[in-house]
This record gives sequence, structure tokens and C-alpha cells, in this order.
Amino acid sequence: MMRTFIVKRKWSYLAGIVAIGAAQFFQVRIPHILGNFINRLKVGGTTPHVILGFALDLAVVAAGYVVAFGLGQTQVGRLGRTWEFEMRQTLFSHWETLSARYFQQHSVGDLLNHSLNDVTAVRQALSMGLNQISQAVFLFLATLYMTIRTINLRLTLFSLVPLVFIPIVIAIIRPEVRTRSRLVQEGLSDMSESAEESFQAIRLIKAASNEAVEVKRFTEKTQTIVDRQMRLVRLNTVFQALVPLLSGIGFTVGLVYGGWLVIHGRISLGSFVAFTVYLSMLVQPLMQFGIVINLFQNASASIVRLQVLLQEKPDIQEALNPINREQWSGRLTVSHLNFFYPNATRPALSDVSFNVREGTTLGIVGKTGSGKTTLLNLILRDYDPPPASILFDGVDIRDMRLSDLRQLVAYVPQDGFLFSTTIGHNIAFANPTVVLEAVKAAALQSKIWDTIESMPSGINTEIGERGIMLSGGQRQRTAIARALIKSNAKILMLDDSLSAVDARTESEILQVLRQVRGEKTTMIAAHRLSALRDADWIIVLDRGRIIQSGVHQDLIKTPGFYADLYRIQTGGEPAHA
Amino acid sequence: MPSAEEWDEQREARMSDSATAMRHLVGYARPFLGEFLVVVGLVLVYIGTQVVQPWLVKIVIDQDLIVRHPQFRAILTIGLVYLGITIVGLFSNFTQNRKLQWIGQRIVRNIRNDLFKHIESLSVRFFDTHETGRLITNVSSDTNQVSQFFTSFLLSLIQDGATVLFVMGAMMLLDWKIALVSFVVIPVIVLISGLFRKKLRDNYRYTRSRYSRLIGYTAENLGGMRITQIFHQQQKQFDQHTELNERYTEGNINEYRWSVRFNRTFSALGNLCIALMMWVGGEAVLHRTIQVGVLYAFISYIQQFFNPINSLTQNWNTLQTSMISAERIGGVLLTKPEIEDPKMPVVVRQISPAGPVDMVGTIRFDHVTFGYDPASPVIRDVTFTIPAKSFVGFVGETGAGKSTLMGLLTRFYDVNDGRITVDNIDLKSFRQQDLHRLMAIVQQEVNLFSGTVRDNIRLFRPEITDAAVEQAATTAGADTFIRELPGGYNAWIRAKGANLSLGQRQLLAFSRALALEPKILILDEATASLDSATEVALQAGLTRIAAGRTTLVIAHRLSTIRDADMIYVMDHGRIIEWGSHEQLMAQAGYYRELVTKSVPAELVEREA
Ligand SMILES: Nc1ncnc2c1ncn2[C@@H]1O[C@H](COP(=O)(O)OP(=O)(O)OP(=O)(O)O)[C@@H](O)[C@H]1O
Ligand SMILES: Nc1ncnc2c1ncn2[C@@H]1O[C@H](COP(=O)(O)OP(=O)(O)OP(=O)(O)O)[C@@H](O)[C@H]1O
Ligand SMILES: [Mg+2]
Ligand SMILES: [Mg+2]
Repeated sequence: MMRTFIVKRKWSYLAGIVAIGAAQFFQVRIPHILGNFINRLKVGGTTPHVILGFALDLAVVAAGYVVAFGLGQTQVGRLGRTWEFEMRQTLFSHWETLSARYFQQHSVGDLLNHSLNDVTAVRQALSMGLNQISQAVFLFLATLYMTIRTINLRLTLFSLVPLVFIPIVIAIIRPEVRTRSRLVQEGLSDMSESAEESFQAIRLIKAASNEAVEVKRFTEKTQTIVDRQMRLVRLNTVFQALVPLLSGIGFTVGLVYGGWLVIHGRISLGSFVAFTVYLSMLVQPLMQFGIVINLFQNASASIVRLQVLLQEKPDIQEALNPINREQWSGRLTVSHLNFFYPNATRPALSDVSFNVREGTTLGIVGKTGSGKTTLLNLILRDYDPPPASILFDGVDIRDMRLSDLRQLVAYVPQDGFLFSTTIGHNIAFANPTVVLEAVKAAALQSKIWDTIESMPSGINTEIGERGIMLSGGQRQRTAIARALIKSNAKILMLDDSLSAVDARTESEILQVLRQVRGEKTTMIAAHRLSALRDADWIIVLDRGRIIQSGVHQDLIKTPGFYADLYRIQTGGEPAHA
Repeated sequence: MPSAEEWDEQREARMSDSATAMRHLVGYARPFLGEFLVVVGLVLVYIGTQVVQPWLVKIVIDQDLIVRHPQFRAILTIGLVYLGITIVGLFSNFTQNRKLQWIGQRIVRNIRNDLFKHIESLSVRFFDTHETGRLITNVSSDTNQVSQFFTSFLLSLIQDGATVLFVMGAMMLLDWKIALVSFVVIPVIVLISGLFRKKLRDNYRYTRSRYSRLIGYTAENLGGMRITQIFHQQQKQFDQHTELNERYTEGNINEYRWSVRFNRTFSALGNLCIALMMWVGGEAVLHRTIQVGVLYAFISYIQQFFNPINSLTQNWNTLQTSMISAERIGGVLLTKPEIEDPKMPVVVRQISPAGPVDMVGTIRFDHVTFGYDPASPVIRDVTFTIPAKSFVGFVGETGAGKSTLMGLLTRFYDVNDGRITVDNIDLKSFRQQDLHRLMAIVQQEVNLFSGTVRDNIRLFRPEITDAAVEQAATTAGADTFIRELPGGYNAWIRAKGANLSLGQRQLLAFSRALALEPKILILDEATASLDSATEVALQAGLTRIAAGRTTLVIAHRLSTIRDADMIYVMDHGRIIEWGSHEQLMAQAGYYRELVTKSVPAELVEREA
């Protein structure tokens, strides 16, 4: 993932890294100049002019270093941030392809944490980490080059020997760092999840005066993070101390052996001075190196998490050869539909068959949990139904293009999710380019227009997160308007979508639906029988089976679930009064 | 989106200024003062060892190498001393590092906990206007940034500040004249920092606020992904995401560019200083005022001097970032809960740990007026009394203000005018906690938590026993379906209960309310997603245990409240009719119209 990005941008990266490398070669000139300078001073016979020359030399080299390093850093940093940008784009578009099942298994807080912490961790490694690694590596190489060439090969080798241990240690502790770092990220995910749930349920928590319990739960999560972080820190600090220790040993070797060489006249005092400067120049990057390596290891844990996420395949796959049609009719056939939710032991739907002719209305009633929502969701291909069990206009919906299917269905969910934009944008959600008149028409049909007009900013009123600033019924009617605006849809599905509106508004909306029903096939799942008064055919579900079906008049006369409901809702008046 | 954008800027501007916020947050370091002192001690040891090193090299040069008969033994000794000092230094650095992380982690934890606790204590109105996604960035990443103030910035301040002082001291000792000349650089440093300051801050602030917008957007879209997919709007939502992401990235890159400029300016300055030192020092050596070794030491000291300065400037960025994050957290922490507990609350005695209190539950609304925006009231001059232990229904057009009325009773919001009393005590005289112990509300939207079914019913309260949970579930009629779930009461609920039907979620919410054993039970369209058969069973269960409980029920399905002792009909924030079902039917008013409208098809036809 990181690799493909780097490969794609190889020239840009190369430019950045070359600049950083060049900067290091500039930088290693500095001790060289200093060494020569000291030599000249010691030999004597210098003039102020020569000294000034040295100083200017150094200034020029330093300027080169600063400019090259600055450019290189900026380049790499920019690329890292570009990676972050692209990663967020990839994540978002990937999420958009994943289906209902995935979002039922992962909470928003957990997913969000990928975007919050994992992406950032990798970006840090990619920009700051890469900067410092390339700085350290180049500086190292440059130093090696300079010391070997201008000072003494053996001296260089002896004092750098201890550093050989660094890669060995890395190889040893790497897997452990990864594990611990993954645990930290998971802890953070847990915490975000807990916070998110809690903030969204704030009314419940307040009303139950459950704040203290929530705080306690949250505290446990943060404590877990502390514990896991510390386990990671313990490992990281050992590593971070080890690197400078090795370089310290190297320096000592350099000092002693270098001194010996000077005494025996193998190298000049100037070279010795330069050598110590070289070594001390390495100390800082090496210290950083320890930190950076940790950065990379933490990032690799995050990369794994991101990879797992991105490897998730969408459950709902587009058919290989989707059937294309200019014109679809709203005929729907369901035949012998059986359906199990993943890991479920009993079927959510079993042997469900019915037929809805174009322009007619099907009513669905049934006990709580009997499978009404499941049925409607299968028609939308939220989950995949078995082959050839749901036919749209004679075509298995699995052979249709997903976009066609979803264009053809106008759907009002049972829990009408609204976005935190304006009410106008919410209604026009299905078709953002739609004109104001169309929004108004849909709003009029769903009886929300009066409410909109009475709002302070009318159609541009912000409705808050999940539409919190609207009343329950207003939310539902907004969701209905959002479906009705899809004027070219062939099927209208209302999943218990009138439950939160009063009887008068309900009958007005039904009135409107009756007008549009000539052209649209309508499916209404409902608990209030009044919502089904226009149905041409009604099916009654129980535990995923159709236990009764027929028209209203017949159903109320047949002893059974429907007649029971009818009796309750009309206040015990006998069904055939 | 421009309007939201402006609003955003305004809010950021209104937030506490960073100094106050930071001062507030620095308080979090106080408990760790002792440990901080240990860290400072260790840092000083470390720096001491670092500063001694060039000195040792100088000794090697001046006393052992430059002399006529150099002695290797002396060099060896100094080499070993050097190694010893290095090890001591590294060990203290290592210990310091761990300690500091340990302090830092605990500080983040404490800030997170307090922030969370504070957010939980804020009133509902706060949540109306603050997106969850943003609050999460506050809790999750802003706290982390703030903690860097303690772990990175303070450390750097101590370590680098002390290094700078040590180095300056060492330079003074070596040769105070040259030292003074090199100190000219200090005002330059101050000047440059001053110049960059504002730019860096503004950039960072800009980036942070873009970032939380982006995260907020992502959070919301993750929640509504299904709707996006069903309405086939992936492209549009993605484009908006792209726009937000671009804005953020642009800010992010810009911020980075400026911080690189800032840091590089300082390294340029450092090298210029060395050049200067060569020039000035070189001449001094020429005139034999100083030795070569001294010049060497000076040059390495200047390098050593600029290392901490560089690191300080880098941590200066950290300071800026944590200040902005502190502002953002401070903005939340300094928000006062709109609804505060009274100084002298009435005493409510708790009879059993889970619920019952020594009150009966008479409710009175006395000329209550309320509007979310006081200028446009939603509840207008409402007055009524609900006797204890009665069953009262509320009906009315959508948006009439029924839920709002219940929100006032639970004190999610405070009335603008008038008074609400329970047992003749003003709501405002209760501690909110006591008030909420008294009542339970079941709303139409059900919130479930990641956890088992059992924990969801008892809301993670340890004092509610398993038996009580199952009892409540049985009463609510949820027991049957719970037992059919894989795992029964221990079935794990994911992602807000997406694997349950809406009605089942509602039954859980019911069980939850019952497990709390409230005196006043408020049902806000709580049965809307239940079929009537289930509802009847549930009501039977309710009446069985209803003794001693005031029940308020909002319903659009009129059969739900037909048996109520009293039904209030609301319209546009007023109560327009009241009475029992029979009385209201006799009145031929709004209620009667509703009833006629709501009967299933056949009756309508019969009347027509
Ligand atoms: N948090 C809020 N902020 C601003 N306005 C709000 C808020 N909640 C509700 N409103 C407005 O207050 C009015 C009354 O809403 P309320 O929720 O009390 O109605 P309701 O009678 O419960 O309706 P329903 O039967 O549809 O649930 C509505 O016009 C609504 O738009
Ligand atoms: N994602 C899921 N995973 C597993 N089981 C599920 C899932 N969604 C629903 N179920 C189960 O499938 C059954 C049918 O649920 P469905 O939502 O279709 O009921 P419903 O008829 O719409 O009920 P309600 O009237 O309460 O809305 C229920 O027992 C429910 O627990
Ligand atoms: Mg359903
Ligand atoms: Mg309501």
C-alpha cells in the first residue's frame, strides 16, 4: 500500500531524497573545512585573509545544506501528506462499496479510528520518518565516505563497528513492537467507539442518570490504553537507548584509537579533530534513528490494520453480464424466498412467495421481528437473496445492475437517517441537481412543506445531526419526501414509515400516495392497519413465513393474526360490524 | 456549505483564548510535580554528561596530543572516563524517557476522563449543535496533542534550555570575550521566532478545524452509508469528502512547509555563527590570544548550542499545536452546563438501590412556555396536573410539541416561563441525578451500546441483578425473542443493534426502562414500531406492575391510549382538548376526527 504509492511517485520521492542526500554531503563538508582550518592554524603562517576564506567557504556550504535539506524535507513531507489525502480518499470510497453486513459488524467509532489514528501514524512514518531516515542514512554514508577518504580507513571502521548491532536488534524486537502497537491502536478504537455511542445516546444517558456508569466504562477504556501504551513504551525506550549507547562506544573507540594514531603520527591533529566532529555529528541523527525506527514499527501495525480493512470484499457483487434495459416496469415477483442472516440458526424468511403487479399496492403486516424489514431489504439487495427468488420485471435482481435497481426503487427506511445538512439538501438527496420546484412538490406530497415554510430559514434550515432538530414525525416525512423526489422510480417502499405521524397527516399522505400509485408499484410495511387501507393485497408474516394473505375485507373475517390486530386497533368492535 | 463554514470560524473564534485554556490544562500536571522534578534531575544529569564530552576531547587535544611527548595512557584513561560518562548519561536519559512517558500517558488519560465526564454533564442543547465526530476528535486526538505539551515541549524546554545555559556557561568559562560576541545571536533568535509565531499558529488552527470537519463528515457518512448506497449517491458524497479532504490537505501541507522554513532558518543561523566564530576565533588564534583547542571547543559548543535551539524550534511547533488543541478542548471544558444543580437540593431518599424513591409522582405544569429559540415558542402557556399513579395519554399533530413537553419534564431543557413541579417541588430544586432516578423515558429512537443484551438492559449498572434484568425483559415481552438470539441474554449487540428488528430494539429499550423501576414512566411513541398484539401483551405486563407508577404515553396509534385516565390533545404548542376517550369522542373535536381517520379502511368506507 505504502509501496505502491512510493513506486508511483518514485521520481518525486527520488527528487526529495536526493535533495536530502545532497544536503548531507554539504553538511559533511563542514567538519572537513573545520579540520583543514585547524590544521592551517596549527601549522601557522595563516593570514586573516585565509581565515576569512575558510569562513566564507563554510558559509556557502552551510547555505547549500540548508536550502537542499529544506527543499528535500518539504518535498517528502508534502508527499507524505499526499499519501494521507489519497489514503483517506481510498478509505472513503472503499467504505462506500461495502455492504450492510459490514456496517453492522463494525461500529462507526472503530472505523473512524482508522481514519483518525492509523492513517496519521503511517503518514508520520512516511514524512517525518522518511525524512529522518534518509537524513541519517545519507549522513552516515557521507561521513563514511569523508572519513575513509580524508582520514583513515581503519579508524573509521573500528569506531563504526558497534553500530552493526542496530539492525540485528531491530530484527529481534520488531514483531513484538508490532503486536504491542496494534494493541494500542485497538485500545484507541475501543475508546472512540465508546465515546461515539455515548455521545449519541446522551438523552438516554441523562434520562437514566447513567452518566457515572458511562464515565466509569470510559475510564476503563482509557486505562487500558495507558497500560498498553506503557508496554509499548518500555520496549521502545530500550531500543531508543541502545542506539546512542552503541554510538557512544564507537565514539570512545574513535577517541582512543584516533589519539593513538595521532601519537604515532599516522594522522594529523586536524584529522583527529575533524574525526571527532564527524562522530558527534552522527550522534543526533542516531538518537533520532531510534525514534524513527519505532515510528516505522508502529506504522507497520497501522498498515496491517488498514490492509485488513481494504481487503474487505463487498458482499454484493455486480453481476458479470448485467441485463440492460431501456425501460423497466414495476412488476415484482418473489418466489420461494428463503433467507438466513450470516451466522443465524433460524431463517429470517422461509418460503415466501408473492407477486405484485405494476401499479398495485402490497401491504405487509406481521409481528415484531417477523421479517418485514428483511424482505424489503432483500429487494434492495442489502443482502443477496438466493438466485432467482426475487424477480424485478421478470429479471433476477442479482442480474440487474446495482445502480439500476437502486434507481428504480424509492425507499423510506424504518429508522429514517437524515444528514446534518439543510432540510432542502436532505430532500434533494437522491438528485442534487433537482430544481426547487421539485423539492417543493415532494415536500408538499409528504406534508412537510408547511413545516418547512414555518422554519426560520425555510428550506435552508440546518436540521442538526441525524435531524435532531426536527420532531419524530417531521423526520419521517422528510424521509418520505426524499423518496418521493425520485420521480422515475418504479417501486415505492415504505417500511413502517408512517408510524410517527398522526392519523390525520397519515391519511393525507396516503391520499397523495393513492394519486401516484397509478404509475408506481407500492409496498407498505406497517403496524397500523390504517396505513394499509389502500392495499390491493396484504400478506401477514410470522417468523419469516406468510401465514395469511388476502384483501382487507376477507382478512378481517378470517380468524387469525390480522383480525386480532384489527380488533385491537378498532377498540374491540367486532370485525364484521 | 459556506454557511456552516462561517459558523465554524465563528465558533473557533469564540472559544476560550489559548492562554486560559492552557493554564487550565497545566493543572493536570500538578499531581505529577514530584515525578517531574525527578525527570528534571535526570535531564540535568544527562545534559551534564553531554556538555562534558567536548571538554574531554579538548583535554585530549590540548594536554595529550599537542604536547611534545604525548602519552597514550592518558588518552586511554580519558577514553574510559568518556565511556563511563556516556553510559551514565544514557541511563538517566532512558529512565527519564520512561518516566516522562508514564507521566504523559496518565495526563492524557486524566484529561480524557475529565473531558468525557464534562461532555456527559453538558446539557442536551450542547449536543444539538455539536457533531459527535468533532467531539470524538476532541477526546481522541486533541487530548493527545495537549499531552505532547508535557512530554515533548516541557521536556525540550528543560533539556534544551538547560543545555543552552550549560553551553553558554562553558563558553564563558573558556573565554568570556568570545563568548559575549557569540551571544549576539540570541536576540536574533528571539526576533525570528516572533516573526514566525503568528503564521505558524494560524496555519495550525486552520488545519485543525478543517481536520475535525473532515472527521465529522466521515463519521456521519459512516453512519448513513446505507442511505447513501440505496439512494445511489456515493459519487456525490465522495465528491464532498474530496473537497473537505483537499481543504484539509492543503492546510496541512502549508502548515508543514512553514514549519520547515522556520526550522531551516535556524539551522542556517547556526552555521552562520560557526562561520563567524571561525573568522573571529581564527584571528584570535592568529594573535595568540587563544589556543587552538579553545577554538575547537568554541566551535563544537556553538554546534551544541544550536542543536537544542533547533530542537526547541521544532518543539515550538509542538507548543503551537498543543495550544490550539488546548483551545479546542478548553472550549468544551469551559462550557458551563446550561442546566446546573441547585446549591441546596431537596433530599430524595432512595428506598432500593436500583430505583424506588420516597416520592409519589404527581406532576404539574404551570403556565409553561418554551421555545428552542425563545423567540418562537414551541410550547405556549401549557397548564395541567397529572395525579400520581395515573395513566395519561398525549396525542396531537406531528410537531405539536409533545416530545418537547417530555423533554421539559425530564429537564433536558429549562422552561422559559412558568413552572413544572413533581410532588409540588419545582424541578429546579432537584439534583438532576435524583430527578432522573425518579423517571424513565423510552423514546422512539433506541440507542444501544456495544455489549451484551443483558448489559444493555441494565445499562452496565452492576447493582441491577441478572434476575431483575430477566424480570424486566419478561414484563416487557422481550424475553421470548432474547432467548432465541444466539447466546440469549449474552448475545453481543453490534453497531447500535443493527442485527435486531426495530421493534425488538424498542422492546429492549422498554425492558431497560422497567429495570430502572421509575416512579414516572414516559413513553414517547415507544410502541410505534411494535405490532398491536405485542403492544397489548406489553401493556398487560405494564398494568401488572403499574401499581405506584405515573405513566405518560405519547402515541399516534390511538388504540395505545384508549384506556388512559386522561388524554391531552395538543396542537401548535397548546393543549386544545382533554378528557377520557369517551368524553373526547362525545365532544366531536380534533380527537374525534383523529379517531375516525385512524380506523382501518372498512370503517372509513362505512362512514363515507
Ligand atoms: N432540538 C430542537 N431544536 C430546535 N427545534 C426543535 C428541536 N426539537 C424539536 N424542535 C421543533 O419543535 C417543534 C415541536 O417538536 P416536538 O418534537 O415536540 O413535536 P412532537 O409533538 O413530538 O411531534 P411528533 O409527533 O412528530 O414527534 C417542531 O416544530 C420541531 O421542529
Ligand atoms: N442484520 C441481522 N443479522 C441477524 N439477524 C437479524 C438482522 N436483522 C434482523 N435480524 C433478525 O431477523 C428477524 C427479522 O427482522 P426484521 O427486521 O425483518 O423484522 P421486522 O418484521 O421488520 O420487525 P419490526 O416490526 O420490529 O420492524 C428478527 O428476529 C431479527 O432479530
Ligand atoms: Mg422492521
Ligand atoms: Mg415526538
